[in-house]
Amino acid sequence: MKERWKMVTTKNYVPVIQMKGIYKYFGGVHAIEDVNLSLYEGEVLAIVGDNGAGKSTLIKILSGVYIADKGEIFHKGKKVKINSTIDSRDLGIETMYQNLALADNMNLFNNIFLGREIRKKGFLGKLGVINSLLMVRKGLDLIDRFNIKIPDPDKKVRFLSGGQRQIVATCRAIYFKAKIIIMDEPTASLGVAETKRVYEFIRNLKKQNISIILISHNINEVYDISDRIMVLKTGRQVGVREREKTTIDEIIHMIISGKDK
Amino acid sequence: MKKNIISKEQFTNFMRHPYFRLLVIVIALLIVWIFFGFFTNGLFFSPRNLSNLMRQMTIISFLAMGMTFVIVLGHIDISVGSVAGLTSMIAACCQAIWLPPILGNLFQGLSVDSLGTISTIITVIITMLTGGLIGLIQGIIISYGSVSAFVVTLGGLYAWRGVILLTSNSRTVTPIEDSLRLIAQGYLTNILGWFIAVLFIILIVINMFRKRNQYNLLGFTNNPLGIDIIITLLPILGVISFVIIMNSYRGTANPVLLMLIVGVLLSFVLNSTTFGRYVYAIGGNREAASLTGINIKKVELKVFILMGLMCGISGIVLTGYVAAGTVAGGFMFELMAIASCFIGGVSHGGGEGTLVGAMIGCLFMTSLDNGMSVMNLEVYWQYLVKGAVLVIAVYWDMQSRKRF
Repeated sequence: MKERWKMVTTKNYVPVIQMKGIYKYFGGVHAIEDVNLSLYEGEVLAIVGDNGAGKSTLIKILSGVYIADKGEIFHKGKKVKINSTIDSRDLGIETMYQNLALADNMNLFNNIFLGREIRKKGFLGKLGVINSLLMVRKGLDLIDRFNIKIPDPDKKVRFLSGGQRQIVATCRAIYFKAKIIIMDEPTASLGVAETKRVYEFIRNLKKQNISIILISHNINEVYDISDRIMVLKTGRQVGVREREKTTIDEIIHMIISGKDK
Repeated sequence: MKKNIISKEQFTNFMRHPYFRLLVIVIALLIVWIFFGFFTNGLFFSPRNLSNLMRQMTIISFLAMGMTFVIVLGHIDISVGSVAGLTSMIAACCQAIWLPPILGNLFQGLSVDSLGTISTIITVIITMLTGGLIGLIQGIIISYGSVSAFVVTLGGLYAWRGVILLTSNSRTVTPIEDSLRLIAQGYLTNILGWFIAVLFIILIVINMFRKRNQYNLLGFTNNPLGIDIIITLLPILGVISFVIIMNSYRGTANPVLLMLIVGVLLSFVLNSTTFGRYVYAIGGNREAASLTGINIKKVELKVFILMGLMCGISGIVLTGYVAAGTVAGGFMFELMAIASCFIGGVSHGGGEGTLVGAMIGCLFMTSLDNGMSVMNLEVYWQYLVKGAVLVIAVYWDMQSRKRF
């Protein structure tokens, strides 16, 4: 089967997410200037660039942490406003941050459901009483997919390995049925075997037609897994390439020179 | 091949376990008690003194409970002494100055006793509202004004003391109605004391079996039953000996019951509600909490309102205990409350700590206070020891957390 993002580029297919002419200033600093981004169903889009290129700022606009100063965002062709993380999540966008955004002092089940705990039914639930048994059960179902063992449910996330922490963050995204997953340096803190597992997992997500944005400052880390690669430099968009029509060298040249040949 | 009784992993797990931390505090507490018992020729262990100790503890314990929320959240509140003093003064003023003429006119036919009861009910409501309002004011400045809690409550430490002097004209306010004094000075009957003890024991046992059952259901490995029974037996023995000792004096004091009820309630809130989870999450990783969509400001505000309400309860018990509103009421309570939390294993960096720990820490601090008074130690010794104990406790906490 031809991958859908390829039909897209030829047939003017509607992107899941489209950002048009995005600007973001921090005081006098132009963090993002006139960046356009399209993301299609089931594709992996890598955003690469040096430190300070504006990668994180760009995705934070998409995930509702920052609000763009100028520009428009379209979700399946419909114009939307993302003013908070909750707005973003309502569109099915889940973000996995570089530091993984886990509360180290809590166990993994609390972390998976953090901010969206399963409550008891009825009056108690309205008061905010948590159904922890159900949370642990659903959490275990999710973790089972990753072939890891959790010996002690009370174990704090602080004591888990980098890969296990990654899995916790991932479970969060899957459970809430994200259609778009943004991963900020997903393999930065992982070993070789764990990196492989994350790639496998990303391919798995692709099969389920979930779109993925990967952020990285190292093209080598994401080249193999991505379908298209977008290069940023000092807040400006250098260019977008399809992986099959480019080379690592070309991308590195774009990252360093900031010029689209 | 020789087999270790427990593996290294089991050992670190045990060291990390909250029960282990509690156990260390309890052992330290017992050592201190034995020390005091020895140097006071057993006077420290007389039922009368232990009963007094428990009652002394209650006033601080309410503050320590609120403080647990505040510190777990990653903040600090050093105004609680002044706020408890102010709520205590408000309660005294209600009873002695403001309410009697109003109530006298409203209910002319009623007896003095029932007038007193009505007065006490209204006083409790007004005092709690005052506490909540003060918490609201400080909370708004801290969460929505983004001023650090240390600064705001340092200001509060002075400002609310000023309000105490203002409302009381720098005088001691009396008299207090008998019904209010009963809250702090009354005792439960022996049978009622046992009844509540049995309730507690049932609660503890059910809790243990529920946890074991859940672990089984979910396929986790339980502790060996023997260990769980020992863990459960310790608090049960504590409860039983507590009731025996209290009943051999006059019975369990009313404020102790109040403390237990509020303690169980707040413990439930901290452990089993979304609010409690958010308090831990924010204290553990503020940025992560905000990225998951938790409304941090709202949670902060709620915690400070809760702290204010706890100051209100503390103030009521204080007024009932002293049977007056005094200008110095609540002086240095903030340090006792904060020290209770730290000794009880509430991490000063936020994100860690239990209410039970803070309560035991509170018992520890009050024991120091009480024991040294019984020993007739000079006041400077008392301050010195309390300060040193606090620093040592936090040092130990840091070290053990680093390693495990």
